[in-house]
Amino acid sequence: METMDITLRINGEPVRARVEPRTSLADFVRERCRRTGTHLGCEHGVCGACTVEIDGAIARSCIALAACCEGAEIRTIEGFDDDPVMRIVREAFRDTHGLQCGFCTPGMLITVRDMLLRDRAGDARRIRVELSGNLCRCTGYAGIVRAVELAAQRLAQERANGTVVTRAAGRAMSGEG
Amino acid sequence: MKPAPFELARPATLAEAARRLREGDGMARAMAGGQSLVPMLNLRLAPVDCIVDLGRIAELREVRAEAGSVTFGACVTHAAIEDGLAHDPTGGLMRRIAGGIAYRAVRNRGTLGGSLALSDPSAEWVSLMMALDATIGIAGVDGEREVPAREFTLGAYTTALAEDEILATVRVPVLGPDARHGSFKMCRKTGEFAQSLAMAVSDPGLHYARVVVGATEGAPVVMERAAEAMRRAGGQAWSAAAEERVREAAAADLAGAGLDQDAFAADMHAASAVAAIREAVRR
Amino acid sequence: MSGPPRAIGASVRRNEDGRFLRGGGQYLGDIALPGTKDVAFLRSPLAHAAIRGVDIPDELRGRVHTADSLAEVKPIVAVSSAPGYRRSEHFPLARDKVRFVGEPVAMCVADTRAEAEDLAQSLLVDFDELPAVVDMDRALEPDAARVHEDWPDNRVLESTIQAGDLAAAKAAAAVVVRRAYRLNRHASVPMEGRGVLAYFDSRQDELVVYSSTQFPHLIRTILAEYLGMPERRLRVVAPDVGGGFGVKSNLHPEELAVAALALRVDHPVRWVEDRREHLLASQHAREHAYRVTAYADARGRLLGIEADVRVDAGAYSVWPWTAAMEAGMSAGIIPGPYDLGVYHARVVTVATNKSPLGPYRGVGRTGACLAIERTIDEVARAVGREAWEVRMENMVRKDQMPYRSATGKVYDSGDYPESVRMAARLMDVAAVRARQAQGPESGRHIGVGFASYTEQTAHGTVEWAARGLPLVFGYESATARMTPDGDLVLEVGVQNHGQGLETTLAQVASEELGIDPGRVAVRHGDTALSPYGMGTFASRSMVMAGGAVSRACRLLREKLLRIGAHLLQESLDDVVLENAGVRGRGGRAEFAEIALAACVRTERLPPGEDPGLDVTTVYEPGASTGAYSYGTHAALVAVDPGHCGVEILDYVVVHDCGTVVNPMIVDGQLIGGVAQGIGTALYEEIPYDEYGQPLASTFMDYLLPGATEMPEVRLAHMNTPSPHTAYGIKGMGEGGAIAPPGAILNAINDALAPLQAEVNETPATPRRLHAALRAAARRPGGERA
Repeated sequence: METMDITLRINGEPVRARVEPRTSLADFVRERCRRTGTHLGCEHGVCGACTVEIDGAIARSCIALAACCEGAEIRTIEGFDDDPVMRIVREAFRDTHGLQCGFCTPGMLITVRDMLLRDRAGDARRIRVELSGNLCRCTGYAGIVRAVELAAQRLAQERANGTVVTRAAGRAMSGEG
Repeated sequence: MKPAPFELARPATLAEAARRLREGDGMARAMAGGQSLVPMLNLRLAPVDCIVDLGRIAELREVRAEAGSVTFGACVTHAAIEDGLAHDPTGGLMRRIAGGIAYRAVRNRGTLGGSLALSDPSAEWVSLMMALDATIGIAGVDGEREVPAREFTLGAYTTALAEDEILATVRVPVLGPDARHGSFKMCRKTGEFAQSLAMAVSDPGLHYARVVVGATEGAPVVMERAAEAMRRAGGQAWSAAAEERVREAAAADLAGAGLDQDAFAADMHAASAVAAIREAVRR
Repeated sequence: MSGPPRAIGASVRRNEDGRFLRGGGQYLGDIALPGTKDVAFLRSPLAHAAIRGVDIPDELRGRVHTADSLAEVKPIVAVSSAPGYRRSEHFPLARDKVRFVGEPVAMCVADTRAEAEDLAQSLLVDFDELPAVVDMDRALEPDAARVHEDWPDNRVLESTIQAGDLAAAKAAAAVVVRRAYRLNRHASVPMEGRGVLAYFDSRQDELVVYSSTQFPHLIRTILAEYLGMPERRLRVVAPDVGGGFGVKSNLHPEELAVAALALRVDHPVRWVEDRREHLLASQHAREHAYRVTAYADARGRLLGIEADVRVDAGAYSVWPWTAAMEAGMSAGIIPGPYDLGVYHARVVTVATNKSPLGPYRGVGRTGACLAIERTIDEVARAVGREAWEVRMENMVRKDQMPYRSATGKVYDSGDYPESVRMAARLMDVAAVRARQAQGPESGRHIGVGFASYTEQTAHGTVEWAARGLPLVFGYESATARMTPDGDLVLEVGVQNHGQGLETTLAQVASEELGIDPGRVAVRHGDTALSPYGMGTFASRSMVMAGGAVSRACRLLREKLLRIGAHLLQESLDDVVLENAGVRGRGGRAEFAEIALAACVRTERLPPGEDPGLDVTTVYEPGASTGAYSYGTHAALVAVDPGHCGVEILDYVVVHDCGTVVNPMIVDGQLIGGVAQGIGTALYEEIPYDEYGQPLASTFMDYLLPGATEMPEVRLAHMNTPSPHTAYGIKGMGEGGAIAPPGAILNAINDALAPLQAEVNETPATPRRLHAALRAAARRPGGERA
């Protein structure tokens, strides 16, 4: 079986590994790097449970090939422990009961954080459109929408106070594989 | 759902990519964003021995504005167009359509060229490029060629690309200041594949009017009669009578298109065409 | 229900959120054991075929297992004492025949899942294809092919209900309404699929089976039986579970196969279900057909109901429920919240060559609610009255409680008509009617619909025994243990997979002991850690486990007070529990101090007092017949006759589940249930073609509601405690998913009434609405389309 040597960064740490070309980024971070917070709900790019950041842009890791992420900066849910915006998002989810079984939650959090940084958390209708790529079977989305609204308010406050400073999330011009 | 084994090539140039495709002898496929291809690989629906990843080819990410048109490299992402990072020759239409494709995470990696090369009938770009009369630039081992979008998309998942050719560019004419456009997409669920899709573009300065309906069983349908009805309705207030004329024209176009569709599909597509045209006329 | 502010009634933030928000949950696929090999199943591509042989190349022997490798494993057989019930044998790997597309035929083992799938793809199976039975009505015809060749026909069970004098009702009726309703096959589809990880622990000399299951103890009991091993040598662990909704409260053939394999190899084996497998071969839901005839007086008062209930239950009976449970439950609850003395029903469960049917949130109640609520609306239409008023007048009144229904259900407490009144007020029906009178809005027709329901929860011994199953889920266990440093550990037999039980059970402990829920650890899911319990399903956990925790904590409380009083040198009459300690007249003894004395410094205990602060006890509700939650949903929809799309403009839920432990969690359960109900009503379907091939095996075809498909749901609460349960709590996990198909279809039909079109099938897709509109247009008197 053919393999390739790849080098990339996972949550700020360089990782060098030998992978089969067919290995998805999701399976790579889960099985090889033991970062199991990224979950597999469908493996065909619909449910969003596997959402990570590739070079600062959210992406579905189940349909990204690890070998095509050569040189990329990957951020999984475990890589946001010290992120101040993610802290705000997490607290909001907890306060509004935005999770029940927790399986969709990591992908949901990464998507919501990205939404806030791109200033796309407008009214409830707009929020729902931005969330439409992340499926949840437990909450019916009500707690999640409220979490986004609450997080947006708190983020605005903390930006105004200067306790949180952000720059816009990265946007890729092209498909990097 | 893990794919069957395959080789992966990551060429740095278009020429090398074309050569790798030819070497694949029909069992190699080019991959841009992978947002449609990798799900098929995971489902083991796409028999492939070699994937040729276009992601390292810098020229495919370029956007060039020329006189009267803008040329997009095949690997420009939907997100780049949505965010306005690329010139929009259509006065906001491409940007608006880009923002409605699937979901942000998919838009960050999915590409204009990848979508056209796959030719899923429900893909927005497939219908829109036909509606805009775009030109597809193709690269192969034996050289380059150009094909109008209307002749590029031949059917569901069928294009004018030979097995060893790569869709390299998409050239979109600049719409004039009087241009009007409308679109309508019918999805059961936000972001999912469209059940019915219509694009309407009218540029009176260029005497150009085109209406395209997608998400049919085959290639999107260019609706000549509906375009004519749109032209005649332009510049006047939209009335119930105008709507009825447009609907009849659209229904006639669909009936004459030789599609294998039932009454439900026919009604949906006609309704989509009417909605897109109504938006264009009223805009 | 007063107490410290973080006890019963408080919207306490969840204890379990921390790990999930960090990505630290441990679901089945996240558990890493050295040396684990992955399993992929080779599954039948045919709906019905005899297996002539599986060609396994020599070099693959030992890595591919078929039924022959598992010869001593007993087949899954769900039994019932119902007369005439026919049992099926479901071998974990198909033996002579396959009976549905997706049925496991072989297990392939490799270092990675990808390689295991390569293996499975390389195998050749020699099948003799047989005719497939795909339609439940066709399956009952005398010349139909038989799913089980040793059965005389394809009936799993047929029964009748005969309550009251139907002939008299027919004779007295001023109005007769007859309709057919259909729910199409769909599925639970939790975001995490099923999965099993098993290995033999040689130190403990036991087989350890991790499974994404809702009831680990029951899985342990049945696995021991089918594997032929003593239960003491088996441990089952449900780790974090990413949703269940019923599909994980069955014994799966894959569970049995992987557990059996682990006994035969010297390394852990793992199967993580993927989405395609889940949509193909997990237990499907709710393929129901109803014919209902209502006899009513001129005011719409029901005189009698006649029903025909048919369920397409697939190829095998699920364990433990049996294939017959759906139909029996549906038929039993068609009377719903109504005061109905005359009810006759014929109930048939049919076997077909499809995936076995199993319980899904609401189970039979969702279809029954659709059938009776549509019927009420049509009766109201026939007598020219508002459906919500006809509903109210037919309902059991609160002064009639407890009320015994025509099918023997005992409704315990509640004001059913008030829930309708409140829903109608919140929906402002008069305003909707005024709006409708203005004509279509941008071409769209507006409609309003209601659906009311009762939800039997925490039913106990007598009720389950009456259903004829060999298992009776009549009680729950709990251990309450104080650690020497004064915190509390609860070990319970239910299984938490989203319901917030790690918090709500801590709130019950807080109510009894005054200890903050943040200092209470709730352990569940592991048969090595918890006393025997039944698991989480049938909306039972808050009542049953809450009752057991309450009882255990009260026993602990007595001991804490005794020891505390002794340490404070005060009389027992002079001390109280307060703020995680015992307060006397002259001082306080913290729990930590008392626990230290009880566990480690036992010389400090009062004479005659045993050491330890560890209580295990059980709980059964005061009545086995169940605590009935109930409610009324109302939907406002806009139907576009052009695109035939349905938009839900407004959705109201009025709900009563008695005493509420955590309002935030209850609201979350309601809205989550409504989302699934909307999926059932408008989006979700697994159709099968005439060859028995399922046509929805990915999320491309199987549409789950996303955030934009959900309306903002308005909730209103009533609180009528149950007379039978601890604190008056009623279960409520399923209610949200029971009423939406009824409410939404009623709303669609209200919208389409001016066009004389009717829709009586779920999901109410654009294609079905289009067909209904065309059919109406073609009827005499209607315009041609």
